[in-house]
Order: sequence, then structure tokens, then C-alpha cells
Amino acid sequence: MKCTRCRKTAHVALPSHHSGFCADCYPLFFTKQVETAIRREKMFTREDRILVALSGGKDSLALMLELKLQGYDVTGLHIDLGIPNSSEKARKKVEDFCALHDLPLRVFEMAAWGLPIPDVKKHIKRPVCAVCGKMKRHHFNRIAVEEGFDVLATGHNLDDEVARLFANTLRWDTAYLSDQGPVLPASEGFVRKVKPLFRLSEFETANYAFLKGIEIHSDPCPYASGASFTSHKELWGELEHRSPGQKLQFYQSFLKNGKPAFAHMEKESGAELAPCTECGSPTSAEICSVCRIKAAVAESKAQAE
Amino acid sequence: MIFVNLEPDGKRIELSDIRTVQAVLNRLQLRSTMALVARGGELLTPDRKLSHGDELLVRKVTSAG
Repeated sequence: MKCTRCRKTAHVALPSHHSGFCADCYPLFFTKQVETAIRREKMFTREDRILVALSGGKDSLALMLELKLQGYDVTGLHIDLGIPNSSEKARKKVEDFCALHDLPLRVFEMAAWGLPIPDVKKHIKRPVCAVCGKMKRHHFNRIAVEEGFDVLATGHNLDDEVARLFANTLRWDTAYLSDQGPVLPASEGFVRKVKPLFRLSEFETANYAFLKGIEIHSDPCPYASGASFTSHKELWGELEHRSPGQKLQFYQSFLKNGKPAFAHMEKESGAELAPCTECGSPTSAEICSVCRIKAAVAESKAQAE
Repeated sequence: MIFVNLEPDGKRIELSDIRTVQAVLNRLQLRSTMALVARGGELLTPDRKLSHGDELLVRKVTSAG
């Protein structure tokens, strides 16, 4: 296979784009996709301070490097979940990456905050992945707001977005379907959230990370086995193989034709938000779910002692 | 014989009677966009030919997030 751009031997084949690229031209394709996402969705400008959520995986580290190379003002934020034999490895990858590329980094420790994820797994009966995700989103937003960042960027890619949309659609979850997208505008208590990699698949991001020599944390989370998103991604991988381009079409058609209808419905029936009486974060209840989980774990631990 | 180092599994396997990257992916039951394949630090497209004794990295790309 030859590179679509320069006709040298291709190193990455992209069936969904009917093209292939050599190692030199592939990063140009990647950069163009990210530029298009930022420009078309009006995500941010070079004057904005951008907080980038860094897990240590290929997507977040690739995003951080690419935004820096494009000249944006980026700061990394890593949440140390406190999971034995896992979190310390992820944190080291993030710290080494930021040191290597001279990138500013904040680290927030769940254990120091009083709620390492193993405690959640032990004391809360709900699926740990859902609670962990809720915790991370809470702290990403809180820190972005408290430290005056204009925007929070995450490394969610096209596969993440399609898997999430698919799960939301299976449940016809109007609340989630009303605001899923590459940009969630700022509102009272919430910073603007953006996903600059939404046009790129996991495969495309993985190739970029490889070609840029990014050392990634690729060990699966020890708590994540059997997560439904993984099986949804496998289903979509098969669909994409049979019909290249299907994922982007499904997602973009939802943004154009589906989301506005759900947003209209939610505007009429959606819950009002007010500051949590414990932490001040926006919530539809008196006390937000994160503070309720923290209290429930503390109570369960006290009973066990 | 082709030697394959699988990530993130951390396994090393040997495959015989394999002549292309596509054949490796087929043997591992992977679609071409579900894993990247590299030899000596160079990424390979599925149509690339392999030689006896080649050492490959096959990195699955699906994350759980």
C-alpha cells in the first residue's frame, strides 16, 4: 500500500478514509482532524487556558501533545485513583510524559481526599466503573472551575463517543442524549467541556501515539473487566469493518438530527440545578451524588470497624 | 515461524505458516483497525509481507474507558 499523500510505502491503512499514510504524513492527517474538530465546533482559542484530563492512556497523552504542538495553553490534570498495582503505574507514565515534554501538571489524589476507589468498590454496591467515572468528572470540573480554566479537554475518541451514544440509545436516556456531543457549553458551576479527538478512532489515536513515541499506560484497569462499553466497542468494530465510515456517520447524524430533539425534550422536563450544600457543585438534589457516595462509604467503614 | 508480542496482554506467541500481516490478524481473530502491528519499530499495513523469524508487536487498541 502506498501513502495517499506522498506515494511512499504506507505505514497506517485507514479503510474508513479510503486512504493510507506513511510515518511522516500520518501525523499531518491527525493534526488536520484535530484542527477541523476544534474549528468546526468552536472548542477554544489560543487565548484560552485549557485543562487536559490525563489518565496515562494513549488518547489523553496524544491529545495533550497535539494541543501543545498546535500552540495551545495546556495544563494536565491526573487523578490518582489509589488502586494498588495500577494507579501508581499510570501516574508515573503521566509524570514522565509531562516532564519529557515540559508540560505543567496537577495531580489530585483520591486517597488524600479520603476516598480511594478500592474503598468505593468495597463499600458501594453500584458498579464501580460508573461511580469512579462520576468521581473523576466531579473533580475534573471542580478543579477547572476553582483554578479558573476556560475549558476542560478530554481524550474521548470516536469509539468512546459511539459506544456511549449506543448505550444511551439502548436505554433511550433522554437526559444523556440531550447533551452528548463534542462540546458541552459552560453553565452555572460547570466549565466548558470539549473532546477534540471525537473525529478520530482509537486505532487512529493509537497509531499517532506510537509514531510520536509516547509511552502509554496500557494495562487494563483491574476493576474494568466486562465493562459494557468494551463489548459495545467490539460490536461497532465489526460494523465498521463491514461498512467503513459507519461510526462517524452514526455519530454526526445524531448530532445533526437526533440531539436537537432530545435537547428540546429535556428543556421542558429537565431537572433544575442548585449548589450542593456540602461541596457547592451543581446538583439536582440537595447534596450531590459524589458527597452522598463519600458519606455512604464513611458510614459503611464505621459500621465495619 | 513468526514471533508475536501481544499488548496489553503481555503474552508472546509463535505462529507458523504465516506470510502477511493480514494473516497474523486473521489468526488472532482481530480486524485490521482493532490492533496496530509493528516490526522493528516500523508500523505495518495488513498487506505487508513477513519473513521467517520476524518479531512483531501486536498492540490491541480498545480501551475500557
